Amino acid sequence: MTLALDLALCVLILGVALASVAGGGVFRAVIFFITYGLFVAMAWARLGALDVALAEAAIGAGLTGVLLLAALGRLRRMNATSPPHRTGLHLPAAFAGAALACALGWAWFALPAPSPPDLGPVMPQSGVGNRVTAVLLNFRAWDTLLESIVLLAALLGVWMLAQDKDWTAPLGPRYHAQAGGVLASFGRLLPPVGLAFGVYLVWAGADSTGGAFQGGTVLAAVGLVALMSNVMRPPRVSQGVLRAALVLGPAVFLCAGLLATASGGAFLSLSPALAKPVILTIEVALTISIAVTLALLVIGASGDGEYAP
Amino acid sequence: MTVWLHIVALGLLASLGGALWRVWRGPSQADRMMAAQLVGTGGVGVMVVLAALQDWGLLVVAFALALLAGLAAVGFVQAQTPDGAGDPEETAPSRPWKDALAATQAEKKP
Repeated sequence: MTLALDLALCVLILGVALASVAGGGVFRAVIFFITYGLFVAMAWARLGALDVALAEAAIGAGLTGVLLLAALGRLRRMNATSPPHRTGLHLPAAFAGAALACALGWAWFALPAPSPPDLGPVMPQSGVGNRVTAVLLNFRAWDTLLESIVLLAALLGVWMLAQDKDWTAPLGPRYHAQAGGVLASFGRLLPPVGLAFGVYLVWAGADSTGGAFQGGTVLAAVGLVALMSNVMRPPRVSQGVLRAALVLGPAVFLCAGLLATASGGAFLSLSPALAKPVILTIEVALTISIAVTLALLVIGASGDGEYAP
Repeated sequence: MTVWLHIVALGLLASLGGALWRVWRGPSQADRMMAAQLVGTGGVGVMVVLAALQDWGLLVVAFALALLAGLAAVGFVQAQTPDGAGDPEETAPSRPWKDALAATQAEKKP
């Protein structure tokens, strides 16, 4: 029975993946890609990787869909025509992809199975109960610190697309909605629930499923709903609070690492006694930065959002 | 009990397959979008069944999906408006459902 369930899931994932690259129609491809994220989240859940499933569900269902659909709508308004469909053009890419898949499959069977490091003995010193959080914020904190800076760099890259005259204008398109309509009501209904859920994810992430990235993504998604339904005013690049929120996470993370050096340890090391409060502080700061960065990445740069092609 | 849960999960996956067929076939964009929403709803169901099967912690994932699956629909309706940032209700304000029904029937007749 378990095998049948897993096989059905595999067939659906492969089918959706094929459907999103095969056939014409960008809109259909986008919709298939949105559902693809959902099925992949199910696969992660089936594999027992709850934190990954949560991140995939939040990113795939919450943010990617909005981003791709908005991009598609913009292409249509620009009257952009898709390049003429030539089958021969896709063949090299298809062969390269298939060759890569074969190589990965060969490596999977040829290489010895890696034994996962045994975290059991060191978990009591990590300060948290969730192994993923322990690895992300304690044992491999360096990676997480650099990732949080990468997000910031990505946002700066998007902002550079703004024209000089638009630099002080509100970020993103000018959203508007019928007062009292369905969209405006949705924008008032969803954010309170999502806010509570996002905060819960961050708090629970120390000991069970959740964490700064997952919580931040949920908060970004509900913030996006509030922006799109014109319940919340779009921020401006020039706002000090906004800039502070963007750098808060990496800054707190760096300060914690430097303080560890100052008190005699290695950079980014945590003493077992202080690990839990320090990790929670870093997580809260990271959540705020991740939420603001992701939401602003989706709405895009300043100006009316329409660039000359 | 476990066997039953597996059967329920398989049935839900089969219904998602039906929704995927509608995404493929369309024909209108709204058809495809609504089918994607159906996949979202079915996905929440699958997650809940998987939670009962393996780990109740998966309910958190199911809740996240239920909360955020509607976002794509918001993105879709906004992309349909002329400037890509509006609300379809602004051009066609919502009417009481009886009026709306009468209007649709009147449109269909000729």
